[in-house]
Amino acid sequence: MSAATYAQETTTSSPLQISGSADTYYKYDFSKKQNIGTSFANDQNSISLGMIDLALKKTTGKASFVGELSFGPRGQYASIPAGDAAGDGNSFHIQNLYTSYAFTDKFSMTAGYMGTFIGYEVIAPTGNYNYSTSYLFTSGPFQNAGIKANYTFSPKVALMVGLFNDWNVYSDDNGVSHFGAQLTLSPVEGWTAYLNVLTGKSAGAPGTGSIYDLTTSYQVTESVKLGLNAADYSISNDNGGYSGVALYAQNAFTTNFSLGLRGEYFKSKSDLNAATITTVPPGESVVALTLSANLKAGGLTFIPEIRFDNGSSSQFIKNNLDPTKTASQFSLAAVYAF
Amino acid sequence: MFIMTVLFYLPMSAQTSTRAELMPLDERGKYIYYEVVEKNPVPADSLQIRANEFLTAKKLDAVKSTKDQLSASGKFLISKTAFVLTRPSGEVLYNFVFELKEGKYRFWLTDFAFIAYKRDRYANYVPATVKGVPLEKEPGKLNAAEWTSYIAAAGKQADLFATEFKQYLSVGKKTAVQPQTKPSVSTKSW
Repeated sequence: MSAATYAQETTTSSPLQISGSADTYYKYDFSKKQNIGTSFANDQNSISLGMIDLALKKTTGKASFVGELSFGPRGQYASIPAGDAAGDGNSFHIQNLYTSYAFTDKFSMTAGYMGTFIGYEVIAPTGNYNYSTSYLFTSGPFQNAGIKANYTFSPKVALMVGLFNDWNVYSDDNGVSHFGAQLTLSPVEGWTAYLNVLTGKSAGAPGTGSIYDLTTSYQVTESVKLGLNAADYSISNDNGGYSGVALYAQNAFTTNFSLGLRGEYFKSKSDLNAATITTVPPGESVVALTLSANLKAGGLTFIPEIRFDNGSSSQFIKNNLDPTKTASQFSLAAVYAF
Repeated sequence: MFIMTVLFYLPMSAQTSTRAELMPLDERGKYIYYEVVEKNPVPADSLQIRANEFLTAKKLDAVKSTKDQLSASGKFLISKTAFVLTRPSGEVLYNFVFELKEGKYRFWLTDFAFIAYKRDRYANYVPATVKGVPLEKEPGKLNAAEWTSYIAAAGKQADLFATEFKQYLSVGKKTAVQPQTKPSVSTKSW
């Protein structure tokens, strides 16, 4: 079998595609306590596991399927729905499990459980530049089960509309309850913007939750990339939500070494019945700066990272458990992609 | 267990190339696949038409045509393959030029640039960037083996492309195969 195929050719049946990643990390919070409440990289002063992620994809004619499972703490316990770390709950986490049919070059439909279309960051560490995640990522949906239609109007404009379950559930207790849409714009080469909306009332929720999200990135030069994520989430009847913006700037100094800075402002809404979002209390905010390096060696990427969070209130803790407005941590992650 | 065995062998399959298999460099220091076809019985205007047809069929972009020259840009998909499994590593962009002169023609592929693929949130492989890295750029010793395999794969693809191109120019568009009429059996008379 040839090691490469023409990109221009269309095959009726592609070989089974297998890919994935494995990751592990060490984190040290300078308060010597678990402090920053965003996703993953949570264990303090421990060489800990992320997950092994395995994805299969097969395309036959116009039909394709994707199945992606993860095993390990990042998938099983830090993602949602989570297994029971102490017991024998689910032993894996489904990242993607969907089928798709391309009716034409422009129109396709997809159904199943899919990574969310909301936001800049994702669960799989190979999809993120920084190893620790933003407050926007942690607070937003991780995955959406549903059915969606995609139409590409031109190379510069595409639209997705779909009906979805509640956030992060394999099956929905209150019916298919959410509507979502994504408008994709690519005005110039290297610049893509996604305008997203997802709205609906989840089972047992006090109100209808609506999230409006802008995710965009621009490859300015061969080495410089900029990104932005802005989102607003509200639950009706004064039940809170959040808003925030995260900026990403990355520069590749060589093909193997790059530096990236993420700056984020995140605010929990102070509505009457608002619940705490991550570690940010209602009405309070946090500014987080994360500086990461990516050092690549073949399929392996080392990610040394330092992070400083500064809250508007004393939402973190010191070594002696006294509350404080600031938190900082160092982490070193190794992520292998195959 | 089978999957784990396959995973073990996956990285090896794309790294078996050596420097000796790589394409030559031109006077600009760029990798090039270059060929001159001297003995050619096909008239010049037919060659021009056939070359244009070929580039269109291969869906190359930015096809430009003058009296004696055609140029276009395209890309090769580079995949890692083991047994019945595969996954794309990236794509190699290239520029293609075709020229006619005094009953002979020449063509070349050059300006090769690699764009790595990454997995998106739906587990599909997509370009990680829109700006390709020239294949001549030194990748550093950490990625040298993998980079060499990309250059070799681009050379192999260029060779396949050239073979198809020359074949097409010598015979032109193949006569469309007429759909076979289904055999029918009459049961009305016997």
